[in-house]
Amino acid sequence: MRCILNTGRSVPQGTAVEHKLSDVYRSIASACFLNPVDLMILGIEDGDRVRVTTPAGYVILTARPAEGVARNECFVTIGPYANHIISSETQGTGMPDFKSQDADVEPTEEAVKSVGELMEAIGGVRP
Amino acid sequence: MIEQDVVCPFCGCLCDDLEIETDGARIVRVKNGCSLAEATFMNDTRLPAPIRRTEAGWEEISYDEAISETAEILREADRPLLYGWSSTHGETQSIGVHIAELIGAVIDNTSTVCHGPSILAIQEVGHPGCTLGQVKNRADVIIYWGCNPVEAHPRHMSRYTTFATGFFVPEAQRERTVIVVDTRRTDTTNIADEFVQIEHGGDYAVLSALRAIVRGKAHVIPASVAGVAKEQLVRIAEICKNAKFGAIFFGLGLTMSRGKYKNVRNAIELTDELSRHTKFVISPLRGHGNVYGSNEVFTWMTGYPFAVDFARGIAFYNPGETTAVDILRRGECDAALIVASDPGANFPRAAAAHLAKIPTVVIDPHVNATTALSRIHIPCTAAGIDAAGTAYRMDGIPIRLKKVIDRGYPDDAEILRKIYDRLDGGMGP
Ligand code: SF4
Repeated sequence: MRCILNTGRSVPQGTAVEHKLSDVYRSIASACFLNPVDLMILGIEDGDRVRVTTPAGYVILTARPAEGVARNECFVTIGPYANHIISSETQGTGMPDFKSQDADVEPTEEAVKSVGELMEAIGGVRP
Repeated sequence: MIEQDVVCPFCGCLCDDLEIETDGARIVRVKNGCSLAEATFMNDTRLPAPIRRTEAGWEEISYDEAISETAEILREADRPLLYGWSSTHGETQSIGVHIAELIGAVIDNTSTVCHGPSILAIQEVGHPGCTLGQVKNRADVIIYWGCNPVEAHPRHMSRYTTFATGFFVPEAQRERTVIVVDTRRTDTTNIADEFVQIEHGGDYAVLSALRAIVRGKAHVIPASVAGVAKEQLVRIAEICKNAKFGAIFFGLGLTMSRGKYKNVRNAIELTDELSRHTKFVISPLRGHGNVYGSNEVFTWMTGYPFAVDFARGIAFYNPGETTAVDILRRGECDAALIVASDPGANFPRAAAAHLAKIPTVVIDPHVNATTALSRIHIPCTAAGIDAAGTAYRMDGIPIRLKKVIDRGYPDDAEILRKIYDRLDGGMGP
């Protein structure tokens, strides 16, 4: 399903933000909020995994229903999961398109990676 | 011991009315703060000592070793990037700028990925703003545009707007009209008197439509603009024109979506238009506790608020070229010093990945995603918890952060001063 990827802050993300390598942070930052109708169309339920793909790559997230999210939009808390698939192009402003990336959302069986694994994927080593 | 009037360093509200109970070097209770403040003060876990990445994994090293090695990395680099600065105090920020000038580095702060575009817009058309005290005491119409203060600045509404009793607005909840503009329903939009739900990327069009209506040209507006009915736009324009004092607060919904700084420019020009009828002001809702301070300190030292490049020996500023994401995306820098921030988590993957390819040093009280990409992580004090210093609130008011406890960590300003000294042989008086 074609979607617009939107990102933003939340209180749970803010309270866990200094503990980025924790499981709590993982479950917050890797949640992908979709309109319940879109969940139905995708044939998945709360807690199932989705693969979200953009021209910059793909990431596996946990689907969560949210009435407030518009149809064909997916909302992901600001952080390493969203950034895994956001393009680094800034169109001469210094600011990437954090709120208007075109994305493809599809159901998957793959597991959600930890923040540490995401960092390892780009050459990091967990402390 | 109970300390009164403690400042919360977490978000740009810098609430200065917290009450904190300590027991030696431990904080046991936080009063008056929101849940973000509580997490900031209570869940403060840090590394015991600096760590260095080796072939075999991570090893602890001494502060002296970490500092000399960092100085060596910076000395060797041709195009170092110094990035972060928003979650620490002004004293640290200013030493950062001195180091950048000394070694010809690029220095950038986190506004580059939050309100950098707002600053670009302000540089084009100015900033009709005011302090939060004015808003609290006078504003009877409040607009939150593209932001979600309930989640990101939890006490903004109770201290300054919707629920705050003001001198000229004694019955806030009855007297203040709150308008929220967003693409999705949130806890903030649920509190609004008027919720304007716009289509994704429709901000610029809706702002333009409002400007036209305020100008008396409602007849040119189509029945719906970016998903918003014309009647609602006309109603909102009327509410604004009839305000005694209106205040617009905007967030990343404007700066990060298509149009970026042009969206903000349009919002400022709407404010200008409304000020022909009544008094209207506009301000960005700044995120990190002292991100405004990093703009202030950079500006009074270099003339520019962020993205300052000293490679030519003078300060040069060109967002899109000298901004951190662009420098990393192009793979241009050959060393990085990250202070009080987490680009590993907050930058797009391609930009963050470059940090792992070059020697990166992190100076931050907390282990974060960038730690995994770095060579050295040096733990330090957290401004406002175990270090005192100056921070700027989102409306530009400088506030002194207090030192509430002593945990025995060195101040990041002290660490940077030592790095400077090793690079130069002394910082002078
Ligand atoms: S609103 Fe911001 S400054 Fe105030 S207590 Fe909450 S996190 Fe701290």
